Amino acid sequence: MGVLDYIWLGILSVFQGPELFSIFGLPVSVTLVMILCGFLLGIAVGATPGLAGPIAMAIALPILISVFGYTQEALLPVMGFLIGIMKGATIGGAVPAILFNTPGTPDAYMTTLDGYPMTQKGQAKKALRVAHFSSASGDTFSDIVLIVCAPFLALLVEAYLDLPEKTALLILSLSFIAAVVGGSPAKGLISTGLGLLAVYVATGEDFYPRLSLGTKQLSQGFPIATAVLGVLIIGSVFKGLEELWHEKRKSGGIAMIRDSGDQRLHFADIRRLLPFIARSAVIGTAIGALPGIGSTLAATLGYTIGKSRYQRRKAKDDPDFGTGVPEGIAATEAANSSVSGANLIPVLSLGIPGNAAAVFLILAAESIGGFNPGPSVFRFTADVVNPELVVAFGLFTAMLIANGLNWTIGGFFMRSMGIMTRIPKHILLPIVLLLTLTAIYVQETRMEAIWFALAFGVLGYLMRSLSISPLPFVIAFILGGKLEESARQAFAATGGDAFFLFTNPIALVFMLMSVGVIVFTAVKSKGAT
Amino acid sequence: MSTRSRSNLYLGLFCLGFALLLLFVWIPLDTDTGWIEKVRRQVTIGDSLAPSVAGIFLLVGGIILILIERSARDQPKLTGGNLRFIGSVLLILFISFAIMRYCGPLLVSATNIFTGETLEYRLLRDTVPWKYAGYFPGGIVLISGLISLIEGRLTARSVVISAVAVVVLIAIYDLPFDDLLLPPNGDV
Repeated sequence: MGVLDYIWLGILSVFQGPELFSIFGLPVSVTLVMILCGFLLGIAVGATPGLAGPIAMAIALPILISVFGYTQEALLPVMGFLIGIMKGATIGGAVPAILFNTPGTPDAYMTTLDGYPMTQKGQAKKALRVAHFSSASGDTFSDIVLIVCAPFLALLVEAYLDLPEKTALLILSLSFIAAVVGGSPAKGLISTGLGLLAVYVATGEDFYPRLSLGTKQLSQGFPIATAVLGVLIIGSVFKGLEELWHEKRKSGGIAMIRDSGDQRLHFADIRRLLPFIARSAVIGTAIGALPGIGSTLAATLGYTIGKSRYQRRKAKDDPDFGTGVPEGIAATEAANSSVSGANLIPVLSLGIPGNAAAVFLILAAESIGGFNPGPSVFRFTADVVNPELVVAFGLFTAMLIANGLNWTIGGFFMRSMGIMTRIPKHILLPIVLLLTLTAIYVQETRMEAIWFALAFGVLGYLMRSLSISPLPFVIAFILGGKLEESARQAFAATGGDAFFLFTNPIALVFMLMSVGVIVFTAVKSKGAT
Repeated sequence: MSTRSRSNLYLGLFCLGFALLLLFVWIPLDTDTGWIEKVRRQVTIGDSLAPSVAGIFLLVGGIILILIERSARDQPKLTGGNLRFIGSVLLILFISFAIMRYCGPLLVSATNIFTGETLEYRLLRDTVPWKYAGYFPGGIVLISGLISLIEGRLTARSVVISAVAVVVLIAIYDLPFDDLLLPPNGDV
């Protein structure tokens, strides 16, 4: 089996998977349909203020697993659906930002700066077209980088990193995420520490379930769904409800603005926008490849750099950024969309999730089994087929199909989603809460899971209230078990060397970088006060 | 006069205290093995090490908050308003889940009184309409309760919306699947 054989098998696994129906004798695989459904759902969810891709992924996952079961064949339809949601939500987020000055997702905030002024000028459809074109371009670029880089990075990791280095790499990832997410390294460390503490309750190798306080309720530990959905989704719902509670629903109808002028996107427009899209795509991809930084920073950086270029080159009478300039939308949307593909580089090559969407992909892989994202996936075995590698190339194919959908039907569907912004958030959020709790219960089938999820929800709410990002918590919860297992194996492999993290040069460099990134960001944050 | 928030300092002190409690009390008392153990003449990592790493993260985070980020610009703090809000939400959730948990068995008992039968909810929990006897009213109370909390009043509209939403959720999670149990039917 050569590399091309694996790529071909991956493509076939998507197109020739279990058949759902046929059109004129041509079989349509269930994976294709799931990618399409996920993509359309993602656009709808992204276009709905208060909802986001991860919420839809969280709710969909137990349903998908019930439908497809725990077999190898379930992996591509389920993960294809989640990838579809991820991609759709990215472009959907621009809809309310442009039409109603309300970002559907946090990273679409910068889109409001030029998108809404364009709407006010009667250029809403053109603004949506610019957003869609930029978003699809950034996303495609990012996916190509993912497909090229992830296997090479994984092969490098497998070739040069042994157990001590892998352990040190996990510690470096956790430190890096703690340091850069949320802007406060101290709060990032606290969030990481809490995540590690939660995952270590009632796990371990002893007969007695550690840290369970001798109680039966804690003796099975916290199910992953309760911790992840609790902190990430339920905490966010509580916070969203509180904001509405404080706002006391500033009522006021949505002003109707009639479209005026040319709404089409011409080749001349595209040529003018391309430099902004290209820069932002590179920025977003570079940021996305680093775990934990996320699309909001990419959007901010893309917008800022686009703005400085625009200001340097614009004619005297041209409008400024922030007053309804298509370049502003292009710079933002290309940057935040190019994060989504690149974010999967650390997931697939290292097994380290970089954002909430990647967390759910890992959760799906772990729930179904048969695919463990990480460097071992990319073993190009010649004698026997490595099924995980076929799935990896199947996922790449799914991403490219989602991209194709984005280019073809994405724009039309996105422009028709303005209606979603009219669903009142104070009605939507309680429904999302019950939906999430029901999703957790149907997976765990015990009320304790709901109590745990609510407790984690309160923790997520308190963390948000204190400006502590919940993302390091979730990533630490997911990586905690892997960190301990890897440390145990490295310790055994080095013959019980207690200093195994410091005796190996690469591991030592990773450890120094772990300390360095915390010290550097802490000192920098002190300088900013 | 400067009125800078001291919430980072308090949070740092809390984390420092919690980390010390974790490292020196909880982990030693509630874990069977130490950092490193000798089992059958082989040295292995014990169950205490990993939680201690968590404790060290909390400890370092607390120390950085106290020493370096004490005077940071953005220091949101928890207010009485925050606690009142989350308390109200939790109260609504508690009432909803109490209804969800006990409504089904109570309805069966009430039915038994009128019909003279000796039905058990446990045996009926996967049959229509009994399997919705807890989820339906509990779900309505949960959704309409939270909507009312935000709106400041209970309206018939919110109850109707809640009922429709719960029916939709039942349609999503229960009707297509034989193997999924809605809350609280896995427990009763």
